[in-house]
Amino acid sequence: MTTDLLPTAGVLRAEALKALSVRTWWALAIPVGLLAVMVNLFGGLFSSAVAGVGDGLPGILLASLAYALSLTTVFAALHGVVLATAEFRHRTATTTYLLAGRVPTLLAKAAVAAGVGAAYALLAIVLGLLAGLLGQGAAPLPSVGGIVMLSVVGIVVAALWAVLGVALGTVLVNQAGAVVVLLVYVFAAENLVSLILRSGTEEGSAPSAIARLTSFLPANAGDIALYDLPARELGGRFASSIVEGLAGVAGPPPAWGALLVLLVWTGAGLAVAWVVGGRRDVT
Amino acid sequence: MGREPDGSGRIEVSGLTKRFGTVEAVRGLSFAVEPGAVTGFLGPNGSGKTTTLRAILGLVAPTAGSALVEGAPYAELTGPARVVGAVLEAQGAHPARTARRHLQVCASAVGAPEQRVDEVLALVGLIDAADRAAGGYSLGMAQRLALATALLGDPRILVLDEPGNGLDPQGIAWLREFLRGFAHSGRSVLVSSHQLAEIAQTADRLVVISGGTCVYQGPADGLHGRPAVRVRCSDPVRLAEALAARGVLEIDHVADGGLAVAADAVLVGDTALAAGVALYGLVEERADLEAMFLRLTGGGVA
Ligand SMILES: Nc1ncnc2c1ncn2[C@@H]1O[C@H](COP(=O)(O)OP(=O)(O)O)[C@@H](O)[C@H]1O
Ligand SMILES: [Mg+2]
Repeated sequence: MTTDLLPTAGVLRAEALKALSVRTWWALAIPVGLLAVMVNLFGGLFSSAVAGVGDGLPGILLASLAYALSLTTVFAALHGVVLATAEFRHRTATTTYLLAGRVPTLLAKAAVAAGVGAAYALLAIVLGLLAGLLGQGAAPLPSVGGIVMLSVVGIVVAALWAVLGVALGTVLVNQAGAVVVLLVYVFAAENLVSLILRSGTEEGSAPSAIARLTSFLPANAGDIALYDLPARELGGRFASSIVEGLAGVAGPPPAWGALLVLLVWTGAGLAVAWVVGGRRDVT
Repeated sequence: MGREPDGSGRIEVSGLTKRFGTVEAVRGLSFAVEPGAVTGFLGPNGSGKTTTLRAILGLVAPTAGSALVEGAPYAELTGPARVVGAVLEAQGAHPARTARRHLQVCASAVGAPEQRVDEVLALVGLIDAADRAAGGYSLGMAQRLALATALLGDPRILVLDEPGNGLDPQGIAWLREFLRGFAHSGRSVLVSSHQLAEIAQTADRLVVISGGTCVYQGPADGLHGRPAVRVRCSDPVRLAEALAARGVLEIDHVADGGLAVAADAVLVGDTALAAGVALYGLVEERADLEAMFLRLTGGGVA
Protein backbone atom coordinates (compact mmCIF):
# COMPACT_ATOMS: atom_id res chain seq x y z
CA MET A 1 0.00 0.00 0.00
CA THR A 2 1.24 3.41 -0.86
CA THR A 3 2.66 5.50 1.89
CA ASP A 4 2.32 8.77 0.00
CA LEU A 5 -1.32 8.99 0.85
CA LEU A 6 -2.40 12.51 0.02
CA PRO A 7 -2.98 13.23 -3.64
CA THR A 8 -0.60 15.75 -5.18
CA ALA A 9 -2.03 18.84 -6.84
CA GLY A 10 -1.36 17.09 -10.15
CA VAL A 11 -3.38 14.03 -9.16
CA LEU A 12 -6.24 16.26 -7.98
CA ARG A 13 -6.12 18.15 -11.25
CA ALA A 14 -6.06 14.89 -13.22
CA GLU A 15 -9.13 13.60 -11.40
CA ALA A 16 -10.95 16.90 -11.89
CA LEU A 17 -10.14 16.88 -15.62
CA LYS A 18 -11.38 13.30 -15.88
CA ALA A 19 -14.62 14.09 -14.06
CA LEU A 20 -15.38 17.21 -16.08
CA SER A 21 -14.43 15.80 -19.47
CA VAL A 22 -17.26 13.26 -19.50
CA ARG A 23 -21.00 13.84 -19.73
CA THR A 24 -21.94 12.44 -16.34
CA TRP A 25 -21.66 15.60 -14.30
CA TRP A 26 -23.92 17.73 -16.42
CA ALA A 27 -26.24 14.85 -17.28
CA LEU A 28 -26.93 14.59 -13.55
CA ALA A 29 -27.08 18.37 -13.13
CA ILE A 30 -30.14 18.48 -15.40
CA PRO A 31 -32.49 16.53 -13.11
CA VAL A 32 -31.06 18.42 -10.13
CA GLY A 33 -32.09 21.73 -11.75
CA LEU A 34 -35.45 20.44 -12.96
CA LEU A 35 -36.40 18.99 -9.61
CA ALA A 36 -35.35 22.16 -7.79
CA VAL A 37 -37.55 24.23 -10.12
CA MET A 38 -40.56 21.92 -9.88
CA VAL A 39 -40.45 21.42 -6.14
CA ASN A 40 -40.22 25.13 -5.45
CA LEU A 41 -42.59 26.25 -8.17
CA PHE A 42 -45.23 24.10 -6.57
CA GLY A 43 -44.30 24.76 -2.99
CA GLY A 44 -47.98 24.83 -2.15
CA LEU A 45 -48.23 21.25 -3.27
CA PHE A 46 -45.44 20.45 -0.91
CA SER A 47 -47.04 22.21 2.01
CA SER A 48 -50.29 20.32 1.48
CA ALA A 49 -48.29 17.12 1.61
CA VAL A 50 -47.14 18.03 5.10
CA ALA A 51 -50.25 17.75 7.18
CA GLY A 52 -50.84 20.44 9.78
CA VAL A 53 -48.55 23.02 8.25
CA GLY A 54 -50.34 26.09 7.05
CA ASP A 55 -49.59 28.27 4.05
CA GLY A 56 -48.38 31.77 4.44
CA LEU A 57 -45.49 31.04 6.76
CA PRO A 58 -41.96 32.19 5.78
CA GLY A 59 -40.78 28.62 6.34
CA ILE A 60 -42.63 27.22 3.33
CA LEU A 61 -40.07 28.30 0.77
CA LEU A 62 -37.24 27.15 3.02
CA ALA A 63 -38.95 23.79 3.46
CA SER A 64 -39.41 23.24 -0.26
CA LEU A 65 -35.79 24.30 -0.81
CA ALA A 66 -34.73 21.78 1.81
CA TYR A 67 -36.78 19.09 0.05
CA ALA A 68 -35.10 19.96 -3.27
CA LEU A 69 -31.70 19.76 -1.56
CA SER A 70 -32.58 16.39 -0.09
CA LEU A 71 -33.26 15.10 -3.61
CA THR A 72 -30.07 16.79 -4.82
CA THR A 73 -27.94 14.78 -2.41
CA VAL A 74 -29.01 11.59 -4.21
CA PHE A 75 -27.67 12.93 -7.49
CA ALA A 76 -24.46 14.04 -5.79
CA ALA A 77 -24.06 10.47 -4.51
CA LEU A 78 -24.88 9.04 -7.94
CA HIS A 79 -22.17 11.19 -9.48
CA GLY A 80 -19.70 9.92 -6.89
CA VAL A 81 -20.65 6.32 -7.64
CA VAL A 82 -20.25 6.81 -11.38
CA LEU A 83 -16.94 8.64 -10.92
CA ALA A 84 -15.46 5.77 -8.90
CA THR A 85 -16.84 2.89 -10.96
CA ALA A 86 -16.07 4.39 -14.39
CA GLU A 87 -12.42 3.40 -13.88
CA PHE A 88 -13.41 -0.24 -13.72
CA ARG A 89 -16.09 -0.04 -16.37
CA HIS A 90 -13.65 1.41 -18.89
CA ARG A 91 -10.71 -0.60 -17.59
CA THR A 92 -8.70 2.50 -16.78
CA ALA A 93 -8.16 1.59 -13.13
CA THR A 94 -4.84 -0.09 -13.92
CA THR A 95 -3.40 3.06 -15.48
CA THR A 96 -4.81 5.30 -12.78
CA TYR A 97 -3.50 3.17 -9.93
CA LEU A 98 -0.08 2.80 -11.57
CA LEU A 99 0.30 6.52 -12.10
CA ALA A 100 -1.30 7.96 -8.97
CA GLY A 101 -1.51 5.17 -6.37
CA ARG A 102 -4.69 3.77 -4.87
CA VAL A 103 -5.18 5.90 -1.78
CA PRO A 104 -4.34 9.22 -3.45
CA THR A 105 -6.76 8.28 -6.23
CA LEU A 106 -9.53 7.52 -3.74
CA LEU A 107 -8.97 10.77 -1.87
CA ALA A 108 -8.71 12.82 -5.05
CA LYS A 109 -11.93 11.34 -6.38
CA ALA A 110 -13.62 12.04 -3.06
CA ALA A 111 -12.49 15.67 -3.22
CA VAL A 112 -13.62 16.12 -6.82
CA ALA A 113 -16.97 14.44 -6.14
CA ALA A 114 -17.47 16.63 -3.08
CA GLY A 115 -16.88 19.69 -5.26
CA VAL A 116 -19.39 18.54 -7.86
CA GLY A 117 -21.90 17.64 -5.11
CA ALA A 118 -21.49 21.11 -3.61
CA ALA A 119 -22.04 22.64 -7.04
CA TYR A 120 -25.26 20.62 -7.43
CA ALA A 121 -26.49 21.96 -4.09
CA LEU A 122 -25.67 25.50 -5.17
CA LEU A 123 -27.51 24.98 -8.45
CA ALA A 124 -30.56 23.64 -6.58
CA ILE A 125 -30.56 26.66 -4.26
CA VAL A 126 -30.25 29.25 -7.00
CA LEU A 127 -32.84 27.68 -9.32
CA GLY A 128 -35.08 26.70 -6.42
CA LEU A 129 -35.05 30.20 -5.03
CA LEU A 130 -35.88 31.74 -8.41
CA ALA A 131 -38.68 29.25 -9.00
CA GLY A 132 -39.94 29.72 -5.47
CA LEU A 133 -40.12 33.47 -5.87
CA LEU A 134 -42.06 33.01 -9.08
CA GLY A 135 -44.37 30.27 -7.90
CA GLN A 136 -44.95 31.26 -4.33
CA GLY A 137 -44.95 35.00 -4.82
CA ALA A 138 -47.64 35.48 -2.21
CA ALA A 139 -45.75 33.66 0.53
CA PRO A 140 -43.58 35.72 2.88
CA LEU A 141 -39.89 35.54 2.05
CA PRO A 142 -37.48 33.76 4.33
CA SER A 143 -34.67 35.81 5.81
CA VAL A 144 -31.37 36.07 3.98
CA GLY A 145 -29.70 34.55 7.02
CA GLY A 146 -32.01 31.55 6.81
CA ILE A 147 -31.30 31.02 3.13
CA VAL A 148 -27.54 31.27 3.64
CA MET A 149 -27.71 28.86 6.55
CA LEU A 150 -29.75 26.31 4.60
CA SER A 151 -27.38 26.68 1.63
CA VAL A 152 -24.37 25.91 3.78
CA VAL A 153 -26.06 22.84 5.24
CA GLY A 154 -27.21 21.73 1.79
CA ILE A 155 -23.72 22.09 0.33
CA VAL A 156 -22.17 20.12 3.19
CA VAL A 157 -24.76 17.32 3.00
CA ALA A 158 -24.46 17.03 -0.79
CA ALA A 159 -20.65 16.99 -0.59
CA LEU A 160 -20.68 14.29 2.08
CA TRP A 161 -23.11 12.15 0.09
CA ALA A 162 -20.91 12.53 -2.98
CA VAL A 163 -17.97 11.18 -0.98
CA LEU A 164 -20.15 8.31 0.26
CA GLY A 165 -20.95 7.59 -3.38
CA VAL A 166 -17.24 7.42 -4.25
CA ALA A 167 -16.70 5.06 -1.32
CA LEU A 168 -19.60 2.84 -2.38
CA GLY A 169 -18.39 2.75 -5.98
CA THR A 170 -14.84 1.94 -4.92
CA VAL A 171 -16.04 -0.96 -2.79
CA LEU A 172 -18.57 -2.43 -5.24
CA VAL A 173 -16.69 -1.63 -8.51
CA ASN A 174 -19.62 -2.73 -10.67
CA GLN A 175 -21.27 0.46 -11.93
CA ALA A 176 -24.83 -0.76 -12.48
CA GLY A 177 -24.73 -2.72 -9.24
CA ALA A 178 -23.50 0.24 -7.20
CA VAL A 179 -26.13 2.58 -8.70
CA VAL A 180 -28.90 0.11 -7.88
CA VAL A 181 -27.60 -0.44 -4.35
CA LEU A 182 -27.50 3.32 -3.76
CA LEU A 183 -31.02 3.97 -5.06
CA VAL A 184 -32.58 0.99 -3.32
CA TYR A 185 -30.90 1.99 -0.08
CA VAL A 186 -31.86 5.66 -0.18
CA PHE A 187 -35.41 5.24 -1.46
CA ALA A 188 -36.45 1.93 0.06
CA ALA A 189 -34.11 0.15 2.43
CA GLU A 190 -33.47 2.98 4.85
CA ASN A 191 -37.19 3.86 5.02
CA LEU A 192 -38.02 0.24 5.72
CA VAL A 193 -35.40 0.02 8.45
CA SER A 194 -36.70 3.27 9.95
CA LEU A 195 -40.23 1.91 9.90
CA ILE A 196 -39.16 -1.23 11.71
CA LEU A 197 -37.13 0.72 14.27
CA ARG A 198 -40.08 3.02 14.99
CA SER A 199 -42.66 0.25 15.09
CA GLY A 200 -42.22 -0.36 18.80
CA THR A 201 -43.13 3.21 19.71
CA GLU A 202 -46.76 4.28 20.22
CA GLU A 203 -47.95 7.40 18.43
CA GLY A 204 -47.60 10.37 20.78
CA SER A 205 -45.46 8.65 23.39
CA ALA A 206 -41.76 9.35 23.90
CA PRO A 207 -39.65 7.46 21.32
CA SER A 208 -37.78 4.38 22.53
CA ALA A 209 -34.02 4.15 22.31
CA ILE A 210 -34.44 1.84 19.33
CA ALA A 211 -36.74 4.29 17.56
CA ARG A 212 -34.18 7.04 18.14
CA LEU A 213 -31.69 5.02 16.12
CA THR A 214 -33.55 6.17 13.00
CA SER A 215 -31.78 9.52 13.30
CA PHE A 216 -28.44 7.81 13.02
CA LEU A 217 -29.02 6.37 9.55
CA PRO A 218 -27.13 8.36 6.89
CA ALA A 219 -29.99 9.49 4.63
CA ASN A 220 -32.14 10.37 7.62
CA ALA A 221 -29.28 12.29 9.18
CA GLY A 222 -28.89 14.37 6.02
CA ASP A 223 -32.62 15.07 5.95
CA ILE A 224 -32.68 16.07 9.61
CA ALA A 225 -29.88 18.54 9.02
CA LEU A 226 -31.73 19.99 6.03
CA TYR A 227 -35.20 20.17 7.60
CA ASP A 228 -34.11 21.50 10.99
CA LEU A 229 -34.07 25.16 10.02
CA PRO A 230 -37.28 25.26 7.94
CA ALA A 231 -39.06 23.28 10.65
CA ARG A 232 -38.10 25.84 13.26
CA GLU A 233 -39.38 28.65 11.04
CA LEU A 234 -42.59 26.74 10.37
CA GLY A 235 -43.40 25.13 13.64
CA GLY A 236 -41.67 26.96 16.47
CA ARG A 237 -41.96 24.63 19.41
CA PHE A 238 -43.37 21.88 17.18
CA ALA A 239 -40.24 22.01 15.05
CA SER A 240 -39.03 18.67 16.28
CA SER A 241 -42.20 16.84 15.27
CA ILE A 242 -42.15 18.51 11.86
CA VAL A 243 -38.61 17.19 11.34
CA GLU A 244 -39.81 13.79 12.54
CA GLY A 245 -42.57 13.84 9.95
CA LEU A 246 -40.40 15.08 7.08
CA ALA A 247 -37.36 12.91 7.73
CA GLY A 248 -39.24 9.88 9.02
CA VAL A 249 -37.31 9.68 12.28
CA ALA A 250 -38.01 9.74 15.99
CA GLY A 251 -36.39 12.13 18.47
CA PRO A 252 -34.10 13.94 15.99
CA PRO A 253 -30.88 15.59 17.19
CA PRO A 254 -30.21 19.23 16.23
CA ALA A 255 -28.84 20.00 12.76
CA TRP A 256 -25.21 20.05 13.84
CA GLY A 257 -25.63 16.66 15.52
CA ALA A 258 -27.17 15.22 12.37
CA LEU A 259 -24.31 16.63 10.27
CA LEU A 260 -21.87 14.99 12.64
CA VAL A 261 -23.67 11.65 12.20
CA LEU A 262 -23.43 11.96 8.42
CA LEU A 263 -19.77 12.96 8.70
CA VAL A 264 -19.05 9.81 10.71
CA TRP A 265 -20.82 7.66 8.12
CA THR A 266 -18.78 9.33 5.39
CA GLY A 267 -15.55 8.73 7.26
CA ALA A 268 -16.49 5.11 7.83
CA GLY A 269 -17.37 4.69 4.15
CA LEU A 270 -14.01 6.14 3.10
CA ALA A 271 -12.19 3.87 5.56
CA VAL A 272 -13.90 0.77 4.16
CA ALA A 273 -13.14 1.90 0.60
CA TRP A 274 -9.51 2.53 1.63
CA VAL A 275 -9.10 -0.99 3.00
CA VAL A 276 -11.14 -2.90 0.41
CA GLY A 277 -9.91 -0.84 -2.54
CA GLY A 278 -6.34 -0.95 -1.28
CA ARG A 279 -6.26 -4.74 -1.13
CA ARG A 280 -8.22 -5.61 -4.21
CA ASP A 281 -6.39 -7.45 -6.96
CA VAL A 282 -6.72 -5.45 -10.15
CA THR A 283 -6.56 -8.05 -12.90
CA MET B 1 7.00 8.74 3.66
CA GLY B 2 7.32 6.56 0.55
CA ARG B 3 10.48 4.65 -0.15
CA GLU B 4 13.08 6.22 -2.37
CA PRO B 5 13.85 4.04 -5.39
CA ASP B 6 17.50 2.94 -5.35
CA GLY B 7 18.09 3.95 -8.99
CA SER B 8 19.39 0.51 -9.91
CA GLY B 9 16.83 -0.19 -12.61
CA ARG B 10 16.44 -3.69 -11.17
CA ILE B 11 13.37 -5.80 -10.57
CA GLU B 12 13.71 -8.64 -8.12
CA VAL B 13 11.10 -11.33 -7.82
CA SER B 14 11.71 -13.83 -5.05
CA GLY B 15 9.65 -16.83 -4.11
CA LEU B 16 6.57 -15.21 -5.61
CA THR B 17 3.40 -17.23 -5.17
CA LYS B 18 -0.10 -16.08 -6.05
CA ARG B 19 -3.28 -18.03 -5.50
CA PHE B 20 -6.68 -16.93 -6.80
CA GLY B 21 -9.00 -19.05 -4.70
CA THR B 22 -7.92 -22.56 -5.58
CA VAL B 23 -6.00 -21.59 -8.71
CA GLU B 24 -2.28 -21.31 -8.11
CA ALA B 25 -1.35 -18.87 -10.84
CA VAL B 26 2.31 -18.46 -9.80
CA ARG B 27 4.37 -20.83 -7.65
CA GLY B 28 7.62 -19.88 -5.97
CA LEU B 29 8.91 -17.84 -8.88
CA SER B 30 12.26 -16.08 -8.56
CA PHE B 31 14.13 -14.04 -11.12
CA ALA B 32 15.78 -10.68 -11.54
CA VAL B 33 15.66 -8.09 -14.28
CA GLU B 34 18.86 -6.16 -14.86
CA PRO B 35 19.45 -2.88 -16.67
CA GLY B 36 21.05 -2.76 -20.09
CA ALA B 37 19.19 -5.76 -21.43
CA VAL B 38 15.80 -6.88 -22.64
CA THR B 39 14.50 -9.67 -20.45
CA GLY B 40 11.96 -11.81 -22.24
CA PHE B 41 9.29 -13.40 -20.06
CA LEU B 42 8.05 -16.37 -21.95
CA GLY B 43 5.36 -18.92 -21.27
CA PRO B 44 2.23 -20.44 -22.75
CA ASN B 45 -1.18 -18.90 -22.15
CA GLY B 46 -2.29 -19.23 -18.55
CA SER B 47 1.24 -19.84 -17.27
CA GLY B 48 1.13 -16.84 -14.91
CA LYS B 49 2.91 -14.09 -16.85
CA THR B 50 0.24 -11.44 -16.41
CA THR B 51 -0.17 -12.30 -12.75
CA THR B 52 3.59 -11.97 -12.19
CA LEU B 53 3.81 -8.63 -13.98
CA ARG B 54 0.81 -7.29 -12.07
CA ALA B 55 2.38 -8.43 -8.81
CA ILE B 56 5.55 -6.52 -9.74
CA LEU B 57 3.39 -3.44 -10.31
CA GLY B 58 1.48 -3.71 -7.04
CA LEU B 59 -1.82 -4.47 -8.76
CA VAL B 60 -1.98 -8.00 -7.39
CA ALA B 61 -0.99 -8.78 -3.81
CA PRO B 62 1.37 -11.79 -3.56
CA THR B 63 0.12 -14.74 -1.51
CA ALA B 64 3.76 -15.36 -0.58
CA GLY B 65 7.15 -14.04 -1.59
CA SER B 66 7.86 -10.59 -2.92
CA ALA B 67 8.38 -8.52 -6.02
CA LEU B 68 10.59 -5.49 -5.56
CA VAL B 69 11.23 -2.66 -7.97
CA GLU B 70 14.42 -0.75 -7.26
CA GLY B 71 14.41 -2.18 -3.76
CA ALA B 72 10.81 -1.53 -2.74
CA PRO B 73 7.33 -2.81 -3.48
CA TYR B 74 5.91 -0.72 -6.35
CA ALA B 75 3.11 0.72 -4.22
CA GLU B 76 5.63 2.13 -1.75
CA LEU B 77 7.87 3.85 -4.29
CA THR B 78 7.89 7.60 -4.34
CA GLY B 79 7.33 8.82 -7.89
CA PRO B 80 6.76 5.34 -9.35
CA ALA B 81 6.10 6.69 -12.85
CA ARG B 82 9.70 7.91 -13.01
CA VAL B 83 10.89 4.41 -12.13
CA VAL B 84 8.65 2.07 -14.10
CA GLY B 85 6.43 2.46 -17.13
CA ALA B 86 3.98 -0.34 -17.79
CA VAL B 87 1.99 -1.49 -20.78
CA LEU B 88 -0.50 -4.09 -19.62
CA GLU B 89 -3.27 -5.89 -21.42
CA ALA B 90 -6.42 -4.54 -19.81
CA GLN B 91 -5.24 -0.99 -19.87
CA GLY B 92 -6.68 1.84 -21.76
CA ALA B 93 -7.99 5.32 -22.07
CA HIS B 94 -11.57 6.42 -21.55
CA PRO B 95 -13.16 5.78 -24.97
CA ALA B 96 -14.55 9.30 -25.22
CA ARG B 97 -11.21 10.97 -24.56
CA THR B 98 -8.68 11.84 -27.25
CA ALA B 99 -5.20 10.41 -26.93
CA ARG B 100 -3.82 13.87 -26.28
CA ARG B 101 -6.37 14.56 -23.55
CA HIS B 102 -5.69 11.19 -21.98
CA LEU B 103 -1.97 11.88 -21.96
CA GLN B 104 -2.49 15.38 -20.55
CA VAL B 105 -4.50 13.94 -17.68
CA CYS B 106 -1.88 11.25 -17.05
CA ALA B 107 0.98 13.76 -17.29
CA SER B 108 -0.73 15.84 -14.64
CA ALA B 109 -1.11 12.80 -12.40
CA VAL B 110 2.61 11.96 -12.57
CA GLY B 111 3.77 15.54 -12.46
CA ALA B 112 5.27 15.50 -15.96
CA PRO B 113 5.41 18.78 -17.88
CA GLU B 114 2.84 19.43 -20.63
CA GLN B 115 5.39 19.29 -23.45
CA ARG B 116 6.17 15.70 -22.47
CA VAL B 117 2.80 14.79 -24.04
CA ASP B 118 3.98 15.80 -27.51
CA GLU B 119 7.32 14.11 -26.94
CA VAL B 120 5.79 10.73 -26.14
CA LEU B 121 3.22 11.06 -28.93
CA ALA B 122 6.14 11.53 -31.31
CA LEU B 123 8.11 8.69 -29.72
CA VAL B 124 5.36 6.17 -30.44
CA GLY B 125 4.33 7.68 -33.79
CA LEU B 126 0.85 8.73 -32.76
CA ILE B 127 0.99 12.46 -33.55
CA ASP B 128 -1.43 12.23 -36.46
CA ALA B 129 -4.09 10.37 -34.48
CA ALA B 130 -3.59 12.32 -31.26
CA ASP B 131 -6.83 14.26 -31.50
CA ARG B 132 -9.11 11.32 -32.22
CA ALA B 133 -11.19 9.65 -29.51
CA ALA B 134 -9.37 6.65 -28.10
CA GLY B 135 -12.54 4.56 -28.38
CA GLY B 136 -12.06 4.43 -32.14
CA TYR B 137 -8.47 3.22 -32.00
CA SER B 138 -7.31 -0.08 -33.44
CA LEU B 139 -5.64 -2.50 -31.07
CA GLY B 140 -2.25 -1.47 -32.39
CA MET B 141 -2.93 2.23 -31.83
CA ALA B 142 -4.22 1.49 -28.34
CA GLN B 143 -0.94 -0.33 -27.66
CA ARG B 144 1.04 2.68 -28.86
CA LEU B 145 -1.03 4.96 -26.65
CA ALA B 146 -0.44 2.68 -23.67
CA LEU B 147 3.29 2.79 -24.42
CA ALA B 148 3.17 6.58 -24.69
CA THR B 149 1.47 6.70 -21.30
CA ALA B 150 4.14 4.44 -19.84
CA LEU B 151 6.88 6.73 -21.15
CA LEU B 152 5.43 9.95 -19.68
CA GLY B 153 7.55 9.76 -16.53
CA ASP B 154 10.73 8.92 -18.55
CA PRO B 155 11.13 5.70 -16.54
CA ARG B 156 14.26 3.58 -16.03
CA ILE B 157 12.30 0.35 -16.41
CA LEU B 158 9.67 -0.71 -18.93
CA VAL B 159 7.32 -3.61 -18.23
CA LEU B 160 5.21 -4.84 -21.13
CA ASP B 161 2.64 -7.63 -21.16
CA GLU B 162 2.28 -9.23 -24.60
CA PRO B 163 2.76 -5.91 -26.40
CA GLY B 164 2.83 -7.68 -29.77
CA ASN B 165 -0.88 -8.46 -29.56
CA GLY B 166 -2.70 -6.41 -32.15
CA LEU B 167 0.44 -5.01 -33.75
CA ASP B 168 1.01 -5.60 -37.44
CA PRO B 169 4.42 -6.92 -38.57
CA GLN B 170 5.76 -3.38 -39.06
CA GLY B 171 4.48 -2.47 -35.62
CA ILE B 172 6.24 -5.47 -34.10
CA ALA B 173 9.48 -4.64 -35.88
CA TRP B 174 9.20 -1.04 -34.73
CA LEU B 175 8.54 -2.11 -31.14
CA ARG B 176 11.50 -4.50 -31.22
CA GLU B 177 13.84 -1.70 -32.27
CA PHE B 178 12.33 0.60 -29.71
CA LEU B 179 12.78 -1.84 -26.85
CA ARG B 180 16.33 -2.74 -27.87
CA GLY B 181 17.23 0.92 -28.08
CA PHE B 182 15.65 1.56 -24.70
CA ALA B 183 17.54 -1.31 -23.07
CA HIS B 184 20.84 -0.52 -24.71
CA SER B 185 20.70 3.02 -23.39
CA GLY B 186 21.28 1.36 -20.01
CA ARG B 187 17.69 0.91 -18.94
CA SER B 188 15.68 -2.24 -18.24
CA VAL B 189 12.98 -3.95 -20.22
CA LEU B 190 10.81 -6.85 -19.08
CA VAL B 191 8.54 -8.02 -21.88
CA SER B 192 6.23 -11.02 -21.86
CA SER B 193 5.05 -13.14 -24.72
CA HIS B 194 3.54 -16.54 -25.35
CA GLN B 195 5.23 -16.71 -28.71
CA LEU B 196 8.87 -17.54 -28.76
CA ALA B 197 9.35 -16.27 -32.31
CA GLU B 198 8.13 -12.84 -31.31
CA ILE B 199 10.57 -12.43 -28.49
CA ALA B 200 13.58 -14.49 -29.61
CA GLN B 201 15.03 -11.64 -31.64
CA THR B 202 14.35 -9.00 -29.01
CA ALA B 203 15.41 -10.54 -25.74
CA ASP B 204 18.94 -10.77 -24.41
CA ARG B 205 17.85 -12.82 -21.44
CA LEU B 206 14.94 -15.18 -21.08
CA VAL B 207 12.81 -16.25 -18.17
CA VAL B 208 10.60 -19.13 -19.26
CA ILE B 209 7.68 -20.16 -17.10
CA SER B 210 5.20 -22.96 -17.32
CA GLY B 211 2.38 -23.67 -14.89
CA GLY B 212 3.51 -20.76 -12.71
CA THR B 213 7.06 -21.99 -12.18
CA CYS B 214 10.33 -21.12 -13.82
CA VAL B 215 11.64 -23.73 -16.25
CA TYR B 216 14.55 -21.79 -17.70
CA GLN B 217 16.34 -18.58 -17.05
CA GLY B 218 19.52 -17.35 -18.56
CA PRO B 219 20.89 -15.88 -21.75
CA ALA B 220 18.52 -16.10 -24.70
CA ASP B 221 21.14 -17.85 -26.80
CA GLY B 222 21.72 -20.29 -23.96
CA LEU B 223 18.38 -21.78 -24.82
CA HIS B 224 19.26 -22.63 -28.40
CA GLY B 225 23.03 -22.23 -28.47
CA ARG B 226 23.71 -25.64 -26.98
CA PRO B 227 24.87 -28.06 -29.65
CA ALA B 228 23.44 -31.54 -29.56
CA VAL B 229 24.94 -34.58 -31.21
CA ARG B 230 23.18 -37.88 -31.77
CA VAL B 231 25.54 -40.83 -31.78
CA ARG B 232 25.10 -44.46 -32.71
CA CYS B 233 28.09 -46.50 -31.59
CA SER B 234 29.35 -49.93 -30.56
CA ASP B 235 29.46 -49.20 -26.81
CA PRO B 236 27.29 -46.32 -25.56
CA VAL B 237 28.19 -46.89 -21.90
CA ARG B 238 31.94 -46.69 -22.52
CA LEU B 239 31.55 -43.63 -24.71
CA ALA B 240 29.42 -41.93 -22.07
CA GLU B 241 32.10 -42.62 -19.44
CA ALA B 242 34.83 -41.32 -21.69
CA LEU B 243 32.84 -38.16 -22.44
CA ALA B 244 32.14 -37.65 -18.75
CA ALA B 245 35.86 -37.92 -18.07
CA ARG B 246 36.32 -35.02 -20.45
CA GLY B 247 33.74 -32.96 -18.62
CA VAL B 248 30.77 -33.56 -20.90
CA LEU B 249 27.99 -34.39 -18.51
CA GLU B 250 24.80 -33.72 -20.46
CA ILE B 251 24.32 -37.12 -22.02
CA ASP B 252 20.98 -38.82 -22.61
CA HIS B 253 20.49 -42.44 -23.58
CA VAL B 254 17.94 -42.41 -26.37
CA ALA B 255 15.47 -45.07 -27.44
CA ASP B 256 17.43 -46.67 -30.31
CA GLY B 257 20.35 -47.45 -28.01
CA GLY B 258 22.29 -44.36 -29.02
CA LEU B 259 23.29 -41.22 -27.14
CA ALA B 260 22.27 -37.59 -27.30
CA VAL B 261 25.25 -35.53 -26.24
CA ALA B 262 25.36 -31.82 -25.54
CA ALA B 263 28.78 -31.28 -27.08
CA ASP B 264 30.31 -30.51 -30.38
CA ALA B 265 30.66 -33.32 -32.99
CA VAL B 266 34.46 -33.08 -33.24
CA LEU B 267 34.85 -33.61 -29.50
CA VAL B 268 32.52 -36.61 -29.57
CA GLY B 269 34.37 -38.19 -32.54
CA ASP B 270 37.79 -37.68 -30.96
CA THR B 271 36.64 -39.06 -27.65
CA ALA B 272 35.16 -42.13 -29.32
CA LEU B 273 38.41 -42.78 -31.19
CA ALA B 274 40.50 -42.43 -28.03
CA ALA B 275 38.16 -44.72 -26.14
CA GLY B 276 38.16 -47.32 -28.88
CA VAL B 277 34.44 -47.08 -29.52
CA ALA B 278 33.27 -47.53 -33.09
CA LEU B 279 30.93 -44.86 -34.44
CA TYR B 280 28.11 -45.90 -36.76
CA GLY B 281 26.42 -42.57 -37.00
CA LEU B 282 27.05 -39.01 -35.88
CA VAL B 283 24.35 -36.38 -36.49
CA GLU B 284 24.84 -32.83 -35.36
CA GLU B 285 21.64 -30.99 -34.62
CA ARG B 286 21.16 -27.55 -33.23
CA ALA B 287 18.25 -27.89 -30.84
CA ASP B 288 15.51 -25.97 -32.51
CA LEU B 289 14.44 -23.10 -30.29
CA GLU B 290 10.77 -23.74 -30.76
CA ALA B 291 11.22 -27.44 -29.94
CA MET B 292 13.18 -26.52 -26.82
CA PHE B 293 10.44 -24.14 -25.74
CA LEU B 294 7.82 -26.80 -26.31
CA ARG B 295 9.84 -29.30 -24.31
CA LEU B 296 10.42 -26.85 -21.45
CA THR B 297 6.80 -25.84 -21.22
CA GLY B 298 5.40 -29.31 -21.56
CA GLY B 299 4.12 -28.78 -25.07
CA GLY B 300 1.09 -26.88 -23.89
CA VAL B 301 1.47 -23.91 -26.17
CA ALA B 302 -1.64 -22.30 -27.54
N1 LIG C 1 -8.39 -12.71 -11.18
C1 LIG C 1 -8.22 -14.02 -11.34
N2 LIG C 1 -9.05 -14.88 -10.72
C2 LIG C 1 -8.90 -16.21 -10.85
N3 LIG C 1 -7.96 -16.80 -11.59
C3 LIG C 1 -7.10 -16.01 -12.25
C4 LIG C 1 -7.19 -14.58 -12.17
N4 LIG C 1 -6.21 -14.05 -12.93
C5 LIG C 1 -5.54 -15.11 -13.46
N5 LIG C 1 -6.07 -16.28 -13.07
C6 LIG C 1 -5.60 -17.63 -13.43
O1 LIG C 1 -4.23 -17.70 -13.15
C7 LIG C 1 -3.54 -18.42 -14.17
C8 LIG C 1 -2.46 -17.57 -14.77
O2 LIG C 1 -3.07 -16.51 -15.50
P1 LIG C 1 -2.23 -15.36 -16.17
O3 LIG C 1 -1.29 -14.79 -15.18
O4 LIG C 1 -3.21 -14.42 -16.80
O5 LIG C 1 -1.41 -16.14 -17.28
P2 LIG C 1 -0.76 -15.62 -18.64
O6 LIG C 1 -0.67 -14.14 -18.58
O7 LIG C 1 0.57 -16.28 -18.68
O8 LIG C 1 -1.65 -16.07 -19.74
C9 LIG C 1 -4.61 -18.86 -15.15
O9 LIG C 1 -4.98 -20.18 -14.82
C10 LIG C 1 -5.73 -17.91 -14.90
O10 LIG C 1 -6.96 -18.52 -15.20
MG1 LIG D 1 -1.45 -12.78 -19.91
